[in-house]
Amino acid sequence: MGAAMTPETIPGTLGPWATLRLGWRNLRRNRRRTWITATTVALAVLLVQAAMSLLIGIEQQSFNNLINYQTGHAKLYAAGYFENRDELPLEHALTDLSALEETVLSVGGVAAATPRIVFSAQLSNGVDQIACLGVGIDVTGSDTDVFRIPQTVVEGQYLRPSEEGLLLGSGLAELFGVSLGDWLTVLAKTQAGAYEAIDLEIVGVVGTGNPLIDQNSFLLPLEMARYILDMESGATELALRFATTANESATLQRLQGTFAESQEVEVKGWRDMEEDFMSLVKLKRVGQGIFLAIFVVLAVVGITNTILMAAFERTTEIGMMMAMGLRNAGIRRLFLAEGALTGLIGAAVGSVVGVAIIAYFAVQGIDISAMYGDMDIGYPVKDTIYPGMNVAVIVGSWLLTGVLAAIASLYPAARASRMQPVEALRHV
Amino acid sequence: MTIAARLTDVHKTYLAGSVTVPALKGINLEIDDGAFLSIAGPSGSGKTTVLNLLGALDTPSTGTIQIGGRTTEGLSPTTLADFRNTHLGFIFQTFNLIPVLTVRENVEFPLQLQGMSDKAERKTRVDAILGEVGLGDLAERRPLELSGGQQQRVAVARALVKGPTLVLADEPTANLDSGTAGEIMALMQSMNAKHGTTFVFSTHDPLVMKHATRLVRLRDGRIESDERVNGGRHDA
Repeated sequence: MGAAMTPETIPGTLGPWATLRLGWRNLRRNRRRTWITATTVALAVLLVQAAMSLLIGIEQQSFNNLINYQTGHAKLYAAGYFENRDELPLEHALTDLSALEETVLSVGGVAAATPRIVFSAQLSNGVDQIACLGVGIDVTGSDTDVFRIPQTVVEGQYLRPSEEGLLLGSGLAELFGVSLGDWLTVLAKTQAGAYEAIDLEIVGVVGTGNPLIDQNSFLLPLEMARYILDMESGATELALRFATTANESATLQRLQGTFAESQEVEVKGWRDMEEDFMSLVKLKRVGQGIFLAIFVVLAVVGITNTILMAAFERTTEIGMMMAMGLRNAGIRRLFLAEGALTGLIGAAVGSVVGVAIIAYFAVQGIDISAMYGDMDIGYPVKDTIYPGMNVAVIVGSWLLTGVLAAIASLYPAARASRMQPVEALRHV
Repeated sequence: MTIAARLTDVHKTYLAGSVTVPALKGINLEIDDGAFLSIAGPSGSGKTTVLNLLGALDTPSTGTIQIGGRTTEGLSPTTLADFRNTHLGFIFQTFNLIPVLTVRENVEFPLQLQGMSDKAERKTRVDAILGEVGLGDLAERRPLELSGGQQQRVAVARALVKGPTLVLADEPTANLDSGTAGEIMALMQSMNAKHGTTFVFSTHDPLVMKHATRLVRLRDGRIESDERVNGGRHDA
């Protein structure tokens, strides 16, 4: 027999692997209870991952929608325009478009540029008159290099150069009760402040999923917009698309650096333009995050009960371990390990099922038109949404659940470790 | 002769609701190193209380306890745990093996608590003690796959594997038939003789008492008699 060791040299606890191994085997003592607890956690994690993936997918589709149909990746404005953008001030127009285009296209990461004129107008079918946005676009080619409007034409056709016609948002068309070939009167203030009216034929209807366009906008050739607004040249903005391989923020920084000294031009990224929407997105993320966290916490609280029961059932065993010299910390670690393992197993099951479901819908999409119809869900998305698979969310929710499960086991573990060995051994 | 444990004027009282119940009323006892001592007495005489105090599982109301020359008075729970870990072995009436561990792992458990990180050394120690208790070929079984006698053999091996100063056994044969009880007592005796480990066990079974070399009888919390038996040396 070996000589007894001195107390100063002993750990008095099991090592991490031995603790995990014993914890794992203890979980298998009452498999049905373990699985019931783990299943609750699995369902919570599944819901969290599904909801987060849906949110990520909707956000990404919303961002793509904004970039493809409304903002591009960035825009150049004449100085003073952006701060007064709600008034659509025509007096702050870009003038030397060719030189600006040449400059921006020389910036690394910028793939295309197109001028646009955005102006406030009244549209009338002779009966109703609605205030909306007119957007003059370069239909000779450059607008389609930046925006993806042609793909959204649901009726009729895309604009042709110098066409005396317009593309009408699908919501506006419905509101007016008009269709292809009908004529609408456009009434707008010229750059000089005089009123100008012109009749234009509806050549196409666009449905982008973006309420600003579908419900409030019409598009017309740039030359026609200039004619109505009495602008000889220029545009209210120069919209830019970045190369698919370009780093968005780095490209924007380069652009802003290029015009840093300019007194005439300012550069804004699409997130700056949509700061209200981005604030809303952040708010929704926080709201949903809190809701989901509460859900997980409720599920994980079940682990507290399970570990309490396990500790109660094994009171004598705890006393025996204490008699053999297992310190209170060792008892705590053992039950924390059991709680964490239950959480991790449940979360792993939830993640596997969750990933399978998310992967399926990420490919097939979820048709929301049946659920919501034309109802505004707060995001500029259309018909079908595709959940976004995010590894950080999957792994993060898995690990977080393990941590929460361990935290949920703190109380029963501490309770078990506070037992007096003699009392524990006496337990029947 | 070295003293393995000493109880000096030990009193122990318990609170049962608002009533104070005296369990021990002034116990004085010296246990020599290498003793094979039986504490006998009827239920409620204080046998288990003495064992709990000797095992540093409980503290006396008054009086002092020394084990291996060290007093247990005023030690923190962690220090007491470490003390039990290094100096004491326990054998329980209901075996108290960990059912999810194999025989080998149960016996290995105290060595892990001592931080013996060398797996090969642990295996050598466990194999050796399992061989001594006659369970070398059952090392990979789980406790529930063993008979009561075999489980108690595992408990004996677990108590001895770390080379304790003192092994405490609270009615170690109470859950065994008389034949198996005799085998367990014979095993403990042989371990006592071979390793010189001090054994203190409680019982009220005369057949078990006859294995002891010293018999201390308790009654109502006091030592009624303390005698040398079976040719054993009288330590008191």
